[in-house]
Amino acid sequence: MARYDYVEKAVKVTRREFLGIVGVAGAVLWTGAYVATDLVQDRTKYIKMRAQGIYKDDEKAKIRQSHNNQAVTDVYKKFAHNPLSHLAEELFHTN
Amino acid sequence: MKGFQAQEKTGIIEIDRKTCKGCDSCKAFCPTDAIEGKYGAIHKIDGEKCVSCGQCLINCPFGAPQDTVDVVDQVIDKLKNKQVTVVGTIAPAVRVAIGEEFGMEPGSLVTEKLYGAMKEAGFKVLDTNFTADQTIMEEGMELIAKIRHYALGEPTAHHLGPLPQFTSCCPAWVTYAELYYPELLPHMSSAKSPMMMAGALGKTYGAAEIWQVAPADVFMVGIMPCTAKKFEASRPEFHSAAHYWQTQGQSGDYPDIDVVLTTRDLARLFKKLNINVRTVAEYSDQDNPLAQYSGAATIFANTGGVMEAALRTAYFVITGTELDVLEFKPVRGLQGVKEAAVTLKDAKTGSAVTLNVAVAHGTKQNVKPLLDEVQAGKSPYHFIEIMNCPGGCVNGGGQPINPMGTSWLDKAKAVLPWA
Ligand code: SF4
Ligand code: SF4
Ligand code: SF4
Repeated sequence: MARYDYVEKAVKVTRREFLGIVGVAGAVLWTGAYVATDLVQDRTKYIKMRAQGIYKDDEKAKIRQSHNNQAVTDVYKKFAHNPLSHLAEELFHTN
Repeated sequence: MKGFQAQEKTGIIEIDRKTCKGCDSCKAFCPTDAIEGKYGAIHKIDGEKCVSCGQCLINCPFGAPQDTVDVVDQVIDKLKNKQVTVVGTIAPAVRVAIGEEFGMEPGSLVTEKLYGAMKEAGFKVLDTNFTADQTIMEEGMELIAKIRHYALGEPTAHHLGPLPQFTSCCPAWVTYAELYYPELLPHMSSAKSPMMMAGALGKTYGAAEIWQVAPADVFMVGIMPCTAKKFEASRPEFHSAAHYWQTQGQSGDYPDIDVVLTTRDLARLFKKLNINVRTVAEYSDQDNPLAQYSGAATIFANTGGVMEAALRTAYFVITGTELDVLEFKPVRGLQGVKEAAVTLKDAKTGSAVTLNVAVAHGTKQNVKPLLDEVQAGKSPYHFIEIMNCPGGCVNGGGQPINPMGTSWLDKAKAVLPWA
């Protein structure tokens, strides 16, 4: 199948168009320092940093699979019986 | 509001007319083309189309879109009220972002500090990561039942939805499907999102077994990276705990999740209470069963995370052995659509099934082609994870804005007249 890449549409602010909004002085300062792609580039940077923090949380976890979470097993033992039980359907699913 | 139910919160995101410069940037990020206005003119959001995701809010260079639902003071009042057990349910993505509001680097993992700050503020914790594990049990078993039936040919006593199965934990995605692809709704997993499971669990099991208080005295606060979660919590179908207690002879009606704070809102709440996440005493909440979570749960915050977590469990349940390498690399990273195939040998029958999965994030660019394929009956997949926000919830509309300190607005403040 086709693959779709992670590309953002460029933001439509050009130096010339910006004159109309912020005036000459503003536009010169503006478009010099802040091109639209900055926004997406910076965003990609912090997405990666936050994602790394999350993967670190996974790596340091004592248990790493949901079915091995004892406290969740207890919910079923003491209360909801088992996944997809009648009570589980009532509380944890929409219908 | 034609497309929405009566009690649902709409208009969560609005553009401030005084601040908007009409630069059109937001339109490049809005997944539903909900933003109207000619280039250079003040822009407006069409509430019939908006899925409350907040992507316009975090990406506007001028900070014009606003989150109109502010419950910080209401939560502080509840925290002061000794009659009320205030329970915070913290989504995975919050723990790697809230530090940014206190001067820490993006991605700093602050779980113990966050628990410490929650304790100091007076919250009890039912970690959304706990119910993320539970989501894997419910949604994963739903998927496994379908695989056993459709792919391994086992008979079934229950009604099963069609394959591919879609993940259902992202409310912006669910609303998107409801508004734009209603015919695909039978593919949606019936499992609630981890936040909504936390609401239902907190006011039943939590109230009765853990805190031993009356369910009506529990005030559940979703703490989310997401503005769309404010919408989700207001949906009238999420009163399951109250309905459960009605079957047990109690009266009273209340929502499962009372209010939602975004990561930004929680940071404001802490600041109002003079709690600094950077310096607060760490707390590990070891004795609290509802704060136990697995690595599989925490990765829900990233695109591909729900899939990876589900595969770890599906693999075990079907083959009877644990995956030897847990990191499932093909579904990680920022490629728009990621796909993978895993062959599982059924421990019961010995027959093998190859599970095809896909992961998409960023509704604006990547979701439509996958959905069109499903609609045409040509989808090769069994399970599809969809997250509205590019990168997943770590980049949600409720997260700290422009944490790299590179926002146009910040840079412009010193020199531009309007800033
Ligand atoms: S990005 Fe911001 S300033 Fe520009 S049109 Fe959109 S809301 Fe207005
Ligand atoms: S909240 Fe999301 S859907 Fe609504 S206008 Fe903003 S970007 Fe578009
Ligand atoms: S991807 Fe996460 S943060 Fe974004 S709308 Fe969905 S649930 Fe909310």
